[in-house]
Amino acid sequence: MIELTLQALFSGLLAGGYYATVAVGLALVFGTMRIINLAHGELVLLSAYIAYAAESRYGLNPVMAIPLALLVVGTVSMIVYALLSRIRQDREINSLILTFGIGIIMTNGILTIWAADIHSTTNPWFQDSLVIADTLFAMNAEIVAFVGGLALMAAVYWWLNHSWQGRAVRALSSNRNAATLMGVNPRQTEILSFLIAALLATFAGVAIYTGKTVFPALGHVLTVKAFIITVLAGMGSIHGVLIGAVMIGIIESLTVTYLSASLQELAGMLLFLVVLFVSPSGLFGGRRALAR
Amino acid sequence: MTTALDVQSLRAGYGAINVLWDVSLTAPTGKTTVIVGPNGAGKTTLLRAIMGLIPITGGDVRVNGRSLTGARTWDSVADGLVMIPEGRMIFPDMSVDDNLMMGAFPRACRAGWKRNKAMVFDLFPRLAERRDQIAGTLSGGEAQMLAIGRGLMEQPRVCLIDEPSLGLAPVVVDEIFRILAKLRAEGLTIVLVEQNTSRALKIADHVHLMRSGRVVLSEPGEAVDLERLHALYFAHDDAA
Repeated sequence: MIELTLQALFSGLLAGGYYATVAVGLALVFGTMRIINLAHGELVLLSAYIAYAAESRYGLNPVMAIPLALLVVGTVSMIVYALLSRIRQDREINSLILTFGIGIIMTNGILTIWAADIHSTTNPWFQDSLVIADTLFAMNAEIVAFVGGLALMAAVYWWLNHSWQGRAVRALSSNRNAATLMGVNPRQTEILSFLIAALLATFAGVAIYTGKTVFPALGHVLTVKAFIITVLAGMGSIHGVLIGAVMIGIIESLTVTYLSASLQELAGMLLFLVVLFVSPSGLFGGRRALAR
Repeated sequence: MTTALDVQSLRAGYGAINVLWDVSLTAPTGKTTVIVGPNGAGKTTLLRAIMGLIPITGGDVRVNGRSLTGARTWDSVADGLVMIPEGRMIFPDMSVDDNLMMGAFPRACRAGWKRNKAMVFDLFPRLAERRDQIAGTLSGGEAQMLAIGRGLMEQPRVCLIDEPSLGLAPVVVDEIFRILAKLRAEGLTIVLVEQNTSRALKIADHVHLMRSGRVVLSEPGEAVDLERLHALYFAHDDAA
């Protein structure tokens, strides 16, 4: 019983790590631009399919596909940014409609190119299990995704807090006019945060392809999950995203272990509702955005 | 005496509402130029237009002889044109330290951040005490000091200062003006917008009075007669 619980907590932690990698990108863009990129999950999906294409067609290790995936996802991100920056009125609502539409186009584009089949890596190493302390099991892929994702997020966190450009991202999110008075070029800074979100999405995509299964409709599922985690965290809070993601991961994995796999999504949503009921601005809301 | 800031027949406003009507004034290098005037005269709008925060619809602004036509805010900042906005325009959810570091963001200012920050902490010991505090929790006076400190981190060649005494307690206003007098004595080119006329006049080398989007009086600081200034200040528009 205890072993089972520990294993569920462990699996939940690992799942939370990869949810966080997806959600931090969304939170970063929201923090800088006050825009929810509803195509963020589809960017993750695109990266996963590029890893699939690289592996199935050229026999490349999915990890080796990261540079190519980064290039493609980064380019698509820039197209999304270029379209977003053309919005002149009611940016909040219009950006939701625009990115939702881009997400649909991307999902169907992927469906057209790669069909609706479910794919996962054929490289056995990723699915080999790793045993920790004789009791906790994980796939190699999950460990790689968790450690890599955490390292990436730590790097983003450091960058936000200690680099000139990172501080500019936070300043822009805190007071846009004041930031331009400090010599910040808002467009340049927004592009930078979009590219960093693309980097996180790329990594998350390869992580999902190696550790789980991918199919065209997954993009939307990921967007919704990332959105929920971002709101749960309190819009824009980075360490809040990490904690929120782990909470969702753990509650889902406990539900799968003790109740039923079909209740997994419901459990996450219930947690989300309860948190919002108790604290409407999220776990770390109240303070605005990225700043801490 | 060279001209640091030269505003020629400037027109600007917010959308369809024009605020500045052919404003012309100059500010000499190394001197303190004070712009006074009642609420709604367009003083802050003038500073915002010079910085490119709102579009200019007519006229020209020259800084050290160079026209700012088409220049973006961040380009002007890189050239040493700095605006110290009122204290509410700090970065409320960043620490005092990070606020100051943002002042050193322009490329030319990055190398000197350590020296500049020490200088700011020297000027405002209170900021040093609160360096890790979130700026949004500062008092009004501290926020104003932070805004000034942050602006000085930008190594200004021309420093526009917007209403530094707005809404502050008299004792804090004293401290702010003591600092401004010190900066003036050090030869910084200052363009100060202020509603507190009597205070501002004490540190003014040159005074401009604005009313309803126009400059109605321009005089050297020592020539200004406070009574006449106040008469103009409070006069009806048709008398001005």
